[in-house]
Amino acid sequence: MSSPSSLDELIEALRALPSVGPKSAQRMAYHLLQRDQRGAGRLARALAHALEVLRHCERCNTFSETDICQRCANPQRDHSLLCVVEMPADLAMMEQTQLYNGLYYVLMGRLSPLDGIGPRELRLDKLLARASDGAVKEVILATNFTNEGEATAHVIAELLAARGVRVSRLSRGVPVGGELEHTDSGTIAQALVERRAL
Amino acid sequence: MSQKQRVDQQPGFVLHTHPWRETSLIVEVFSRDHGRVAVVAKGARRPMSALRGVIMAFQPLLLDWSGGGEMKTLVRAERCGGQPLLAGRALMCGYYLNELLVRLTAREDPHAALFDAYARAIATLGRGEPQEPVLRRFELALLRELGYGIGLASDSDSGAPLDPRADYVYIIERGPVPLPEDAGDLPATSGQTLLDMERDDFSRPETLVQSKTLLRMLINHYLGGQILQSRRVLKELLEL
Ligand SMILES: [Zn+2]
Repeated sequence: MSSPSSLDELIEALRALPSVGPKSAQRMAYHLLQRDQRGAGRLARALAHALEVLRHCERCNTFSETDICQRCANPQRDHSLLCVVEMPADLAMMEQTQLYNGLYYVLMGRLSPLDGIGPRELRLDKLLARASDGAVKEVILATNFTNEGEATAHVIAELLAARGVRVSRLSRGVPVGGELEHTDSGTIAQALVERRAL
Repeated sequence: MSQKQRVDQQPGFVLHTHPWRETSLIVEVFSRDHGRVAVVAKGARRPMSALRGVIMAFQPLLLDWSGGGEMKTLVRAERCGGQPLLAGRALMCGYYLNELLVRLTAREDPHAALFDAYARAIATLGRGEPQEPVLRRFELALLRELGYGIGLASDSDSGAPLDPRADYVYIIERGPVPLPEDAGDLPATSGQTLLDMERDDFSRPETLVQSKTLLRMLINHYLGGQILQSRRVLKELLEL
C-alpha cells in the first residue's frame, strides 16, 4: 500500500531541513496535516513570502528585504568598523552585548578545507571588496573559536593585511564567571599562551 | 557475527567530523592502537553536550568506544593535556596532515609509530616551529609506515651507497638511480638530499626544497588521482 504522492512529496520536502531524517520528516508532516492545519498554512505562506522578498544585503551579506539592510543604511552606526561573523545568529549575539556600534559582514559559513569549502565557496572576494570600500578602518574578526573559525579568521586576516586594512580578532580565554578548577585544560592552555602583561 | 568490543582510554586525535542524524556527529578518529576508526558521538551537536567542546581536531584526547562493526559508538572523550590551538599557517598544515591520514590509511589498520609521528608533528606545529620540516618528516613517516619501502640510502640499480655529490632520479617503487645524461626535465635529487632525508636531517635549505618535490610526487602517486582538498584550498588562497 502506498501513500498519496502529495504526502510523500511533503515528507521528502521536509527533509531539506538540517538534520531531519525520514522519520522526523514523517512525524512533522502528520503533525502539520492532522493537528495543526492553521499552523501549516501559516508556515507555507511565510515560507513563500520569505523566499520572494528576502535577499542578501549587498553590504553585509545577511538576509534583508531591501538591497541594503536597515543596519547598513543607518548613519548612526560607525561605518569605520566592520565585524566579520560566521552566521546571522552570531551577529545577534554581538548585538546583544550593546557594546558594538559598527557594521557587520556575515559569511554564511566557515572555511573547511577537508570538506572542500575554500575561499571560492565562501565568496571571500565579496568580503574583500566590502572591506576595501575606503570607509572601513578596522575589521574585527569574530568567527568561532573552533579550528574552522580560526582557519577562516587567519585567511581573512592575511588577505586584508595584504590590502593594508587593519585587522583585529576577538580575544578569548577563561569564560566570565569561570573558575580555573572547572575550565577545560585546552582553554587554560590557550589563555596562558595569549596571556597579557599587567 | 559481530563481537561486542569495548576500547577504553585510547589515545587518539579527531581527524574530521560529519553531522549525523539530528544531533549527532560521525567522528573520524586516528587512534594509537586501532588506527583510523569511525565513531558516532551521540548528541554531540546539542548545545549543552559535554562532548561538544572536546571533539576537536589537533587536540590529544583519550577515548572510550564500544561496538564491533564498522561504526563504533563513542562512550567518552576527554582531553589529555592541554595543547594550544593550532593557529594560522600551522592550522592549515594540520588540515593537510589530517587529509593525508584520511585518504591514505585504511580503517582499523593500527599504526602506532605513525600515530606517534603525528602527535609529534601536531605538538611541533603547536609550538610555532618552522612548518616545512614537520610536513616532510610526517610525509616520509607516513609513506614508510604504510609499507611503501622508500629506499633513500643506496642506488637501487647497483646497490652502491649514494654519493652525496651526485644527482639521482627517484623511480617510484624502485628508488634512486643515477641521473641519466638525457634526463630532460626529470626532477633531479641530490645524493646529499636523499641521505639527509634518510638521517631525518632537514636543516639544509636544498634538502627542504628537493624533498618537498620528491615527496609530493610520491604522495600524488599513492593518492591515485584523489585530489587533496586542503591543498586546493591553499592554492586558491594564494590566488586571491
Ligand atoms: Zn546589511
